[in-house]
Amino acid sequence: MSAVKRVQQWATFARTWHVFDCKWQDPYESAGVIKKYLMGLHKPIYHPMNDCGDVVVCINSREIALRGNDWRQRAYFHHTGYPGGATWTLAWELHSKDPTMIIKKAVYRALKGNLQRRHTMERLLIYPGETIPDDIKQNITNQIRQIRLVPTRLDHIPEEEVQKYPKVMEYPEDYVLK
Amino acid sequence: MNSLVRAGFSFAKNAVVSTSIRSISITRQLNLKELRERTEGSTLVVEGVTVPSPRTNLLVRAEDLAGFEPSEGTAEKPCYMCSLGLDVKHTDVLILSQFVRSDGCMLPRRITGLCKRQQKKIGKLVTMAQKAGLMINLTPANCQKDPKKRRLYKKFNTYFDEKTIFMWRIPKPTDRFKR
Ligand SMILES: [Zn+2]
Repeated sequence: MSAVKRVQQWATFARTWHVFDCKWQDPYESAGVIKKYLMGLHKPIYHPMNDCGDVVVCINSREIALRGNDWRQRAYFHHTGYPGGATWTLAWELHSKDPTMIIKKAVYRALKGNLQRRHTMERLLIYPGETIPDDIKQNITNQIRQIRLVPTRLDHIPEEEVQKYPKVMEYPEDYVLK
Repeated sequence: MNSLVRAGFSFAKNAVVSTSIRSISITRQLNLKELRERTEGSTLVVEGVTVPSPRTNLLVRAEDLAGFEPSEGTAEKPCYMCSLGLDVKHTDVLILSQFVRSDGCMLPRRITGLCKRQQKKIGKLVTMAQKAGLMINLTPANCQKDPKKRRLYKKFNTYFDEKTIFMWRIPKPTDRFKR
């Protein structure tokens, strides 16, 4: 095997480390994307028996966004196994207790329930804030594109730009400015 | 019928409170006004100052744009938002902030001049933007001006789907087979 071919072989089977910024992302939408990278489905060499999955590092998991009423309507079920041991935790309660849990459970649900699932989940690293430990940061070589646009708050736009923006509505002549 | 009732009501009101009648005026009395309060010694002076609208030069209308074709045959003229045909999302705070008061309250239809459907749509989009905390500077004075300081489930980021505004109008996939 020539030197070039050898390097190509290493590059093909090496694990790539991806970073995914969860800011204003729906965890259930992003779980489908993260799953693809965790399992290695984006690679042409993919095969279920082929260990070609990548590592995904999720940052800013505290800043995830749920749709509509989901924070107070989505419940997470857990049963301790004892009689009367069932609990239903609302999404916002779970997120205040552990800001990494919702995205973890979303990815866990997106993966197929086979023996490989627990091992695939080991390759998902989630951090609630922006900071990543240095030993993990030095491996990262790729960033996964965000699905949703991060919205801009009106008070973060400069006042001058808000004034200069083209206007659609005109006040009627007898309007008292408030 | 509605206008008849209103006319009758205003006539009765004018008959009772005759001082508020302002029937003749030489100059245009109504104009865009700004209420200014100042204290002179021990008296509070509230005056309405006539100001020019800051928006007139920046106004975008479908008639002024290139490639505008007026619709023919229909007596009903579409309102300015319908004729512009913008796809407004709840994250477009620069557009939505034009339809609200300084306390973040949606303006009524007699001021916005929209049609009923657009008024409802913009009103709901404003609600979505406010719930998502995107127009936090346009809120009542007792607001803490930080979405993270809200209580319980309200302190977390929320996004909305604009399709839910007119949910009953969305055609089903099987509707294309109908005549
Ligand atoms: Zn209209």
